[in-house]
Amino acid sequence: MTGLFYAAAMALLVTVALALVRAWKGPGTIDRIMAAQLVGTGVIGVALTLGAARGDATMLDAALVATLLAALAVAAFVASRAPRGARKDGEDRS
Amino acid sequence: MSLVFDLVLCLMILGTAAASLLMRSALGGIVFFIAFGNLLGIAWLSLGAVNVALAEIAIGAGVTGILLILAHARLSAMGDPVECEPTSPWMRAAVAVICGGLIVLLSVAVLSISPTDRMGAQIATLMPALGIENPVTGVLLAFRAYDTLLETFVLLGALVAVWAIAPPGGWPQRPASLAIATPVSLTVIGTFSRVLLPASLVMAAYLVWTGSDLPGGAFQGGTVLAGGILVAALGGAIALPRADDMRLRSVLVLGPAMFLGIGLGGIALGRFLSYPVGLEKALIVAIEYALALSIGATLALLVAGKPVPPAAVQEGGD
Repeated sequence: MTGLFYAAAMALLVTVALALVRAWKGPGTIDRIMAAQLVGTGVIGVALTLGAARGDATMLDAALVATLLAALAVAAFVASRAPRGARKDGEDRS
Repeated sequence: MSLVFDLVLCLMILGTAAASLLMRSALGGIVFFIAFGNLLGIAWLSLGAVNVALAEIAIGAGVTGILLILAHARLSAMGDPVECEPTSPWMRAAVAVICGGLIVLLSVAVLSISPTDRMGAQIATLMPALGIENPVTGVLLAFRAYDTLLETFVLLGALVAVWAIAPPGGWPQRPASLAIATPVSLTVIGTFSRVLLPASLVMAAYLVWTGSDLPGGAFQGGTVLAGGILVAALGGAIALPRADDMRLRSVLVLGPAMFLGIGLGGIALGRFLSYPVGLEKALIVAIEYALALSIGATLALLVAGKPVPPAAVQEGGD
């Protein structure tokens, strides 16, 4: 069973590597950020399967923390892309 | 299988590190930096150092990522191109020498630790006296408490430094609002953050509590808390506080002050930072909770940045 979990962790690590290829090639910034999200998701999977392979339940906590904070980057990215002057008061920056 | 896994992981870590340095676009570099933090977290897991993995994933991949993205956005808004310009060969050589020297120093330091080092066994024999079972928490809060105490004050000092660069008229106002300017995105992130903030509160409390016996602790819990606060601020669910808000300031100093107070109380028992017999665990857990609150608030405010004049807040504050 342990070998099976290691194989799963390995397979997930390969999908992370593929996501990294997408992050490298882009071409757009949004593609890169989505690839970063995919890397985050893959890493959560690797943490879970590695925890199962090692029989270490505390690794699930690491997966949980990664899950909670994975959305931070994409939220910050959306905030950074918001058009200027689109505030509620409609004030225009010039 | 384990060896293959570790080798592939090492290659990927080196690859992401190289990519984040070589990437032409700054945001691309940030993406690889976040991926690098995540993979480093897995490496620590693979080494069995779950405490470090938690901190690396929370700080390296989570909060530093958001800090870099927001910094990039603010620099771009100021008209800074943020792209790398060609540097002179002398500069490159100097950087290579300094970084190479650091790597050599670190390698020597790591390799000088003997494989038959008895430190772990020594700590294991001392742990029962503390009533907690996580040796990392034991080292941080008891055996090397002095270091941890100073670190908490360094963090506070960093926030004071950020506040000190407030522009004229900015002090003691709020930091520039983080709320997303696009109404649709604000609704999505706002709804999401109202779910995430309570979940991150529970997770932070859990990490601190479990930290006395299993991997976790004040720094990990505080970072998760900071993450929840930041998403809530991005979603417009909470407003960032004024720098002179007394409740905010009490939260910021609560952890370090409590740690220092209990440490000074130890003088009455004979030594600075010693705990009274029988009360070790209660005091350590109390300090950890207070520290987690302070660290969470401090990290969130460090990412939010300097206070700005109220007019600038409405414009996005750049």
